[in-house]
Amino acid sequence: MLVAWRYRPRRSLIQRFDPRAWIIFFLCFMASSLMFWDLRFLLPLFVIALVTIFTSGITWHESRRAWLFIGAFVIFFSVLTFLTGRGGMEHYTEEHVIRTLSAPFTIVGWRPTIRITVERTMFAISQLVRVFSVASMTILIPYSLNPIQYGITFRGLGLPDKIAYAMELTMRFIPTYARDFQLTMDAQRARGYELDKLQGGLFAQVRKLAPLIVPVTIHAIAASEDIIDAMDLRAFGVQPRTWLQELHYRWRDRVLIVFAVALAVASVALSLVGFGRLWVPAWALAWAGG
Amino acid sequence: MDRRLISVLGALVAVLVFFLLIVWIGGLINEDLKLDETALLRFVFVGIGLLIVFVVYWATRSSGVWEVGTREVVYMAIGAALYAVFSYLFNGTVFAVPSVSQVALRPAIAIPMFFGYAFGPAVGFFTGAVGNMFGDALTGFGLSPQWSVGNGLVGMIAGMALLFPDKKKGINVVLILSTVLAVIGVIFYALNTELANMMFFDAEAGIFGDAQISWVAGLSVVIGFVLVLIVRFAFGQNIDVASAVTWSMLGNFLGIGFAAISDIWINGFSLSVAMVGEFLPAAGPNLIFAAILVPLLVGAYAAVQRQTGR
Repeated sequence: MLVAWRYRPRRSLIQRFDPRAWIIFFLCFMASSLMFWDLRFLLPLFVIALVTIFTSGITWHESRRAWLFIGAFVIFFSVLTFLTGRGGMEHYTEEHVIRTLSAPFTIVGWRPTIRITVERTMFAISQLVRVFSVASMTILIPYSLNPIQYGITFRGLGLPDKIAYAMELTMRFIPTYARDFQLTMDAQRARGYELDKLQGGLFAQVRKLAPLIVPVTIHAIAASEDIIDAMDLRAFGVQPRTWLQELHYRWRDRVLIVFAVALAVASVALSLVGFGRLWVPAWALAWAGG
Repeated sequence: MDRRLISVLGALVAVLVFFLLIVWIGGLINEDLKLDETALLRFVFVGIGLLIVFVVYWATRSSGVWEVGTREVVYMAIGAALYAVFSYLFNGTVFAVPSVSQVALRPAIAIPMFFGYAFGPAVGFFTGAVGNMFGDALTGFGLSPQWSVGNGLVGMIAGMALLFPDKKKGINVVLILSTVLAVIGVIFYALNTELANMMFFDAEAGIFGDAQISWVAGLSVVIGFVLVLIVRFAFGQNIDVASAVTWSMLGNFLGIGFAAISDIWINGFSLSVAMVGEFLPAAGPNLIFAAILVPLLVGAYAAVQRQTGR
């Protein structure tokens, strides 16, 4: 049985566009965000992401879990890089210390010390903005893309029929297998299988994962026979496919595509000429005494 | 086909013109312009990876292992979806598998290995590359496309086993190649034991890649290699299991190696940092999964095949 993503038709900015146009925009948006570490360049992208979120028509209630997960993830990584300074090292060579915090205690002779520097702070903020923009644009897609149109969307983007269909099935299978995984885990737990605490050495832990991975995988393969039969009966792959739904670009889709490509090209050009590296404002340096 | 070729050539020319324009316009603005291509490089490496796949395909296209029918299309989708779900669950924060002695556990890697071996290189590549892409998208971290290609290569190379009609011969070739690669890895570790483990983070201790690599992580390639050897000879009778683990091992070495080495240019790592800090702690544990989980999957799948007669 297939479990679906939580798509439904909404009056939203995303759904006013052709799905192909939106995917092109999404890919260009991702590529642009990848080019920059400079907060001044990342903020416009962040604004685009915010506008998309607030016009998406997705209620907090239905997307709560996804947002909480992404929020926790983004903040976790930003705080982690901030505290340790690791991750931004290749972006700056010199650090200007604002304050050094030392713990009033020691752990086995080691005193936890946090050096708060201007560069680390800016890097953490930039990373937060960057990852949040990309992540939020990504999670909006399953809520806004009609599952019926997955296949024709990828086909329309130029992928061959078979690959387009494989992509469609992949997107459809993901929620199904997540559910299967949950079921398998519950079933194993009911048999007294300890999963919450994986204990033991390296090999013992790996071995303990098998009762989860193997049944889910083998069940997926065995159950796929029905799908394969259904596809074969419809003569899949014999001739170029026709799709039940057709997609047509309207003028607003073309505008979006032109905008997306221009955004990506401009970002690549700017980053090539050296713009967009980590930006540390002069006033912050002055403040830190640099 | 001709039209497609023309459009590919057209795109390449457009990219070239774009670069020339940048050099020209940038040169007008700033006389001593140095192009800063670090951000763009990850896409270049995606291109290089795809080129490698294409060359391998072209060289072996007559063998029939690349054929994609209905069955393969469905297996591609199943593999990619499973890989995405497992990486999301195990690598993410939902079902955090703890790391032991700095060895981060990524059991999901067994999926592209198994799918590659069981259903061919095309399915393996799709499983690894698309699965990793969707897995990253689920966690909101789609920032390293070159690792998707690296994962794809793992699956593809595991599937090259089908090229050898005589499985024993294939295993021997792969074992020799892998031994050489493992020895290179160990030499790098022996020469650079003081380097940091870039793949490791421990939130509780506030360590994120700045801990010196532990000997377990450094030698995990050897541990994995020995484990694969044990499986290979313990299952000498079951040639399928032996073949699956050895080919998975080679795929793992080359695929992860590709991603780690591309970080030399993308992240500006030195060769030894890429090898010791990234390659060893990623490829070593993967081998342990190859040795334990892949045989289990191969065995279970063989049982299903016997039952259904497919």
